[in-house]
Amino acid sequence: MGQKKNKPVSRRDFIKTAGTAALAVGVGAHIIVPGRASAQQKTLKILQWNHFVPGYDKWFHNTYIKEWGEKNNTKVIVDNIGLAGLNSRAAAEVSAQKGHDLFLFLWPAPVYEDQVIDHREIYEECERKYGKAIDLAIRSTYNPKTKKYYGFSDSYVPDPINYRKDLWDDVGMFPDTWDDIRVGGGKIKKKHGIPVGIGLASEIDTNMALRAIMYSFGSSVHDAESKPVLKSENTLEAIKFVKALHKEAMTDEVFTWDASSNNRFMLSGKGSLALNAISITRTGENKKIPVTDNIWLAKAAKGPVRRIGLEHVMDVYVIWKFAENIEGAKQFLIDYVGNFRSGFLASEFYNFPCFPKTVPDFKTLISKDSKAKPPDKYKVLEDVLDWATNVGYPGYANAAIDEVFSTWVISTMFAQAAAGKMTPKDALNQADKEVRRIFKKWRDRGKI
Amino acid sequence: MTVLRSTVLGARLIRLRDDEHWLGRLMLAPAIAYIALLIGFPFFLALYYSVSDITVGGRTMSYVGLRNFLAIVQNPTFIMALKNTLTFAFVSQILVLILANVLAQALMKDFRGKWVVRFLILLPWVAPISLGSIGWLWMFDSIYSVINWTLQAVGILDHNTRIMWLGKPALAMASVITVHVWRLLPLATVILIAGLSSVPQDIHDAAAVDGAGFWRHHFQITIPLVAPIMTVAVLFGFVFAFTDMIVIYVLTRGGPYNSTQVLASLAFFTGIDGGDLAEGAAISLFLFPLLVAAAFAFLHLARRVEVT
Repeated sequence: MGQKKNKPVSRRDFIKTAGTAALAVGVGAHIIVPGRASAQQKTLKILQWNHFVPGYDKWFHNTYIKEWGEKNNTKVIVDNIGLAGLNSRAAAEVSAQKGHDLFLFLWPAPVYEDQVIDHREIYEECERKYGKAIDLAIRSTYNPKTKKYYGFSDSYVPDPINYRKDLWDDVGMFPDTWDDIRVGGGKIKKKHGIPVGIGLASEIDTNMALRAIMYSFGSSVHDAESKPVLKSENTLEAIKFVKALHKEAMTDEVFTWDASSNNRFMLSGKGSLALNAISITRTGENKKIPVTDNIWLAKAAKGPVRRIGLEHVMDVYVIWKFAENIEGAKQFLIDYVGNFRSGFLASEFYNFPCFPKTVPDFKTLISKDSKAKPPDKYKVLEDVLDWATNVGYPGYANAAIDEVFSTWVISTMFAQAAAGKMTPKDALNQADKEVRRIFKKWRDRGKI
Repeated sequence: MTVLRSTVLGARLIRLRDDEHWLGRLMLAPAIAYIALLIGFPFFLALYYSVSDITVGGRTMSYVGLRNFLAIVQNPTFIMALKNTLTFAFVSQILVLILANVLAQALMKDFRGKWVVRFLILLPWVAPISLGSIGWLWMFDSIYSVINWTLQAVGILDHNTRIMWLGKPALAMASVITVHVWRLLPLATVILIAGLSSVPQDIHDAAAVDGAGFWRHHFQITIPLVAPIMTVAVLFGFVFAFTDMIVIYVLTRGGPYNSTQVLASLAFFTGIDGGDLAEGAAISLFLFPLLVAAAFAFLHLARRVEVT
């Protein structure tokens, strides 16, 4: 056996050897070991709002996406922005054809139908795994004309009545019907100088509250077949009612409101009733504001035709056609719905499930809350699906409904009449003209 | 050979450096590229959108002629927004002009703490307008308004009375104009100070010797001399007032019942929030011809009154 010679390593040899090794480690991993290449970590980018309950974002960022990312070998990046920036951001992403894989709207966004995938498959898989989705979710994400699911709704937020029990007890009334609210609210205002607060401004809570009144009076913007039907005796009665409610039980501050004004209104102790999510009581409980124990919740008020209210917020996730990780986004939504019980608890009952079976002990949880006084304060929400509906009631949300909603046509109609700037009839005629114009425009575009 | 080439190249560069004709074009090129890419391109795109049927969620569009413009002029909200825009722009500019004159005159004098005053006056201009507007929103709040609190504290308002600054059409318009004036005043003041500084002192001295009083001195000597630069300030102010929507978006979102809706905010609500990008573009471009004409008129006026 010949003895191996200890040849000194030249600089050229060293570079050659190191280069080959690097090539083997880097490129070789993809070529030589295909299994390793496919196991490379993916990325999933999500954009959603800064949740009203900080604990939810904490859970979502620090627990849920970490666990999901590890299980699915995916790096999950979540960007949070303010509610008011969602539409502009979506428009920018569509314009650039680049952005997040999952985009969360807080309302139906049918206008982006051409830019998103059909979410039918996600609904089908979730229904197979977790049972049927609620009608409210479907009506907020499905276009019956094109038969496409333009979004996927995992959850919604109820919009109950928040009222000051001490004040309402004092006048011996309960806000069960809209007429009770007018009469009782008027009595409280007269006796205590504390008004009712139903927004009459260009903001989302106003949009919801006034539609709740319209629907309970048997009025709506369009019918089940997407024909505009705003101009009706029922709408006129609803406008006259709001005018009377404003005169007898409210003050002009409702014309100035933004989306958080009703929270401040109730928690400052200067309001007797408002329509809102449970954000008022949750803020009060978390910040230990004394008036909170006197703020109770009630179902949507009954009008002359029916008892009905709206969802306060509708979570609608969309996956853009140009998303880089469409499959990952679909899987994320399916898994997220499966874990919704944790999300429900993290949101402190703010977000309700669109797949009810994912929170089997829902009624038990909301009937005994550790923060609420009394602990069954939120029990009133257990039959919320019997009285909560979607923005496009009695039909589906669509692009025309979305534009009517976003350009404040309905809130302006009510506000003009309530302020005495127009007669109820003139305000209705003007709004109806605008609604018909908007519907015609979107019908011409083939979207409704 | 290489040495020869580099020598020739060097000589060419030196010639180019000394050629004012080419050097000027070269140095202007980045600015022109900036304007073309970031202003020109979006502008022509908006023009194209305004005669199309594009939506915020669409990638295809068809030419529809002037249909969007015809539709918006029949919309009462648009007519109201047009009137509001004109009121907002003219009233705010008149106020800015008067207040900027007063401030500029005051800041031309020497007094203790002048730099602090100058700094405070400039603050609204350098601070982000959205933040400033949110501050004002709290001052106008229906419950926690510090203005109402002060009026109650000094006894002007009783404790149960709250002025709804943003809840009445006239008060809301006055409020948004106030914030807009607050925001534009520093720019106009700085421009006017620059103009006042350029007036030779001997002209003021001569006026004083001739016995001109303050008003005569101001209106017959100072104002005509600073008129060209004042025209520029007014032009800037008008452009801002016609095209900006931040103050209105933060304070009123066009309310109460569209009484502070201006064309810029209506274009945003229609185009971005409402999804009809084409109509939004038509609304935002509606005043463009008027603005171009006004800009030409102002610049022409500025040249005519220029003192050489």
